[in-house]
Amino acid sequence: MPLDSESDDESVADRSTESKAARDVHPNVVDQPEGQPATIKPAASTPTVRKPAVRKPAARKPVAGSVGTAAVAKAAASKTSGAKTAAARTTVPKIVAPQTTEETAAVTPPETAVAPATLAKPTARKPPARKPAVRKPGVRKPTVAAPTTVKPSSAFASSLANSATDETTRPYATRDALEGGLQAAARTAKIASQVPADAQTEVEQQTEAEPQTPPRTPSTAVPKVVQTTPAKAAPKAVPTTAATASVVPVSAAEPAPIVIEARGLIKRFGHKVAVSDLSLTVRAGSFYGIVGPNGAGKTTTLSMITGLLRPAAGTVTVHGIDVWKRPNEAKRVIGVLPDRLRLFDRLTGAQLLYYAGTLRGLDNDTVRARSADLAAAFGLDDALNRLVADYSAGMTKKIALACAMIHSPRVLVLDEPFESVDPVSAVNVTEILQKYVAAGGTVVLSSHGMDLIQRVCDHVAIIVQGRVLAAGTVDEVRGQNTLEDRFIELAGGRKVAEGMEWLHNFSD
Amino acid sequence: MVTQFFGLKLRLLANLFRRSPWQVVGLVVGLLYGLGVAITILVALITLRFVGDVSLIRDSLVVAGSLVVLGFLLIPIVVGIDDTMDPRKFAFLGIPNRSLSLGLAGSALIGVPALTLSIMLLGTVITWSRGVVETLLALVSAVLVLVTCILLSRVSASLAAFLLSTRRSREFTGLIGVVVLVMLSPVVVVLLGTDWGRHGRALLGTVASILGWTPLGAALAAPGDASTGAWGTAILKLVIAAASVYLLWLIWEVVVARMLVSPGREAAAKQYSGLGWFDRMPHNTVGAIAARTFTYWARDSRYWVSLIMIPIVPILAILPLSIAGVPLHYLALVPVPLMCVFLGWTMHNDVAYDSTAIWLHVASGTRGLADRVGRLIPAAVMGIPIIGIGSAVSISVYGDWTVLPSMLGVSTCILLAGLGFSSYTSTRFPYPVTKPGDSPFAQPQASDTASALVQSLTFVGSIVVALPVFFLAYLGMTDDPIWHLHALGAGIGIGLLAVVVGIWFGARRFDRSGPEMLASALRA
Repeated sequence: MPLDSESDDESVADRSTESKAARDVHPNVVDQPEGQPATIKPAASTPTVRKPAVRKPAARKPVAGSVGTAAVAKAAASKTSGAKTAAARTTVPKIVAPQTTEETAAVTPPETAVAPATLAKPTARKPPARKPAVRKPGVRKPTVAAPTTVKPSSAFASSLANSATDETTRPYATRDALEGGLQAAARTAKIASQVPADAQTEVEQQTEAEPQTPPRTPSTAVPKVVQTTPAKAAPKAVPTTAATASVVPVSAAEPAPIVIEARGLIKRFGHKVAVSDLSLTVRAGSFYGIVGPNGAGKTTTLSMITGLLRPAAGTVTVHGIDVWKRPNEAKRVIGVLPDRLRLFDRLTGAQLLYYAGTLRGLDNDTVRARSADLAAAFGLDDALNRLVADYSAGMTKKIALACAMIHSPRVLVLDEPFESVDPVSAVNVTEILQKYVAAGGTVVLSSHGMDLIQRVCDHVAIIVQGRVLAAGTVDEVRGQNTLEDRFIELAGGRKVAEGMEWLHNFSD
Repeated sequence: MVTQFFGLKLRLLANLFRRSPWQVVGLVVGLLYGLGVAITILVALITLRFVGDVSLIRDSLVVAGSLVVLGFLLIPIVVGIDDTMDPRKFAFLGIPNRSLSLGLAGSALIGVPALTLSIMLLGTVITWSRGVVETLLALVSAVLVLVTCILLSRVSASLAAFLLSTRRSREFTGLIGVVVLVMLSPVVVVLLGTDWGRHGRALLGTVASILGWTPLGAALAAPGDASTGAWGTAILKLVIAAASVYLLWLIWEVVVARMLVSPGREAAAKQYSGLGWFDRMPHNTVGAIAARTFTYWARDSRYWVSLIMIPIVPILAILPLSIAGVPLHYLALVPVPLMCVFLGWTMHNDVAYDSTAIWLHVASGTRGLADRVGRLIPAAVMGIPIIGIGSAVSISVYGDWTVLPSMLGVSTCILLAGLGFSSYTSTRFPYPVTKPGDSPFAQPQASDTASALVQSLTFVGSIVVALPVFFLAYLGMTDDPIWHLHALGAGIGIGLLAVVVGIWFGARRFDRSGPEMLASALRA
């Protein structure tokens, strides 16, 4: 949760690089820079107003100046992860697209350029190979279609990314988005822990700030950017429509394969209907958030998807395998973090990881190596030799998360993964998950943290009373509002507390 | 304030009846039983008013009463009951300490233990109503006893809740319970061995005279002393009783004040190194599951209780038989098969002990066969020394080595059959057990008739399966020793068959209904 903006930004561009660029530039410059074509500009003016309050202006400005360079750099920097992510999420394409033309070239080699500027972990990631396939098609088209339009947006997006990234993320910037492995994450964790105070404060500030600015640029996709821009600039401006229009076709063009498909799920407990005729589709490479009020059936749904709870009716397929007809095959590709179920807590952390890995069929050496990596990544090294029963709630969550990942599943289904996890760890976990998604994995998680979902996820489903009330990309679902507003609207609206005046007359 | 606490306690009691019908039935039966006992004792005490030797009555009442008072002190600690009226639950209400202490202690008067105790104390008042002053004195002492008991149980329950707030210490109460049980058996032997006819009266008198001067028995002894004419000691003992009540009240107040500001305590976590059993077992699914079971046997007090019972049960079974005059010669044949029955039976609800942690097996698609076999390995491994060494020792006591094959055959058959039954029932009929981390004596709320049925069926089942082997062994002892060898062969054969069939059905069940097992763990 802490690094809201950062996660989003990633997709757009690499923080470190950008941030530097961003910093140099000055705030006011922001919108005008590129020129978002005529259409966009109007919007630009508005933004200025808003930005200052919420985010660091400095960051944004960069856009103008940086756009060309920065954007490219970012693109490069964000490189694989960013790119992939973007690609994976349908939305992303847009961002990439604009730059694509110019940048594409840049992207591949970018590391060099980026590296110096950035802190340096630029170790390149393999991922590049992947991106092209998925994303490119989608991406490019947009470029072609509305090159002009797009560009600005991309620039803008990158600037936003920068802004978000720079100050806030700074401490974390070290950990590069670039490096893929858990080890990287582990390092990050250490770094983070060393700088915790500042980092956290910064994070928190940002978090607080964000809610105020409704139209936040979600990191995820270009489309968002486009929309956002208009929003910021002025209430829906004509440009928006245009931009959106151009975008939409793109994303629709090449949908990723469906990874999880739930159809008509029904579950009753006694007379209470927990889940009624619920259908859900999750595509490969998405970071899918599920939100809903207490008792909405989130846990029930996730349990049915993961083969832990037999549905009264309906089917679930994961990677084309019917979970309830061929459970053992399906379970092999799923990693599960259930909520509120016990662990074998008389085992030490190391034993539990070993146990989970072995049950998943990993051999001795693999389990040990992965256990070590996971422990480092989640900051559990010191706790490995203690009984899980003696762990704090957050540590228990982390070890359970590690158990869910140890067999490198294609899909991770996580029920409340961030509950009671401290901000620093949450950032680490988020980053691990983002890299996992960037590498082609799929994450489905439930959470009550609207901010987190809006920041981290590219898709979201809102479940209320056992039904999906809204599902789609985060931008589609939230529209012009924040996800939180949209959610509250769908979940029955704010209850105005009347007759509570006595609460304001303090008893003494 | 106190009335509100009364109301709360009444509501809590009433809510006991808002559970499933079977639980309510159990509760009612329990209540009726307690009430019945109390009334029987009441009647007995009333008759004592008119018959019997006064000093004998006094001594018996002092000893019995002291035991009751001791029970009020010890049971909350050993059993670690869940205290619904824990002072800490009222910490945020800002109630003055004195009223809170009074309210909590007062509300403890409402409840089954206090009710039964009151009925019995009423009996003692009648027993000692041998004059106006004596009756008054008896009434005062009865009240003192009641207050002492209530305060004692409150203090000890609170201390227990406080001291046992850590996982480790909570589990330790399990050990205490077992140790108490073990220590009781020699006491039972001594008691049974005492020649009551000759020394009983004197022993009782000595014990009573000592207890009469302690806070445990002072209040109980006072009216008796008065009735025997010893008014001086009676008054003195009454003073002792009153003083101890006051002292207890002060302690209770301190405990409440202290608990309001002590949310609990943290125990230092122990460090382990390496993977323990996981290093020692084969690095595959079966090995890991077996290693996990071994580890749990060593670390989880719920298993300790059942495992420690295995050697204790034969002792408990043999004691009365030996006292009843059964020659040791035959008794020597009992322990090993009996231990095998219990060892096999220990596993009959194994999945339920995992509680909801079983999700890991379900989510990872663990094969039922691996799960079943892995869980049985520790029990089987443990059975080898029991059967091997145990049989040798038994037979050496028995004195006829030709019986050894039968002993081995019967024991093996019982153990394997028990494991086979367990393998199936633990997946098919899991019933609620104490949750991980709870005191092993904290019984789960939802124990119904189904679970009792499963328990007895698995218990009897292994013996029934072994009946043919028993018969062969019997033939060996009465007819021709050659039958003993047949018994060995039949025992191993039947046992293996039973365990294979059990594992096969269990594995199939596990594969098919993992989610149902998890669901039943969630309901528990």
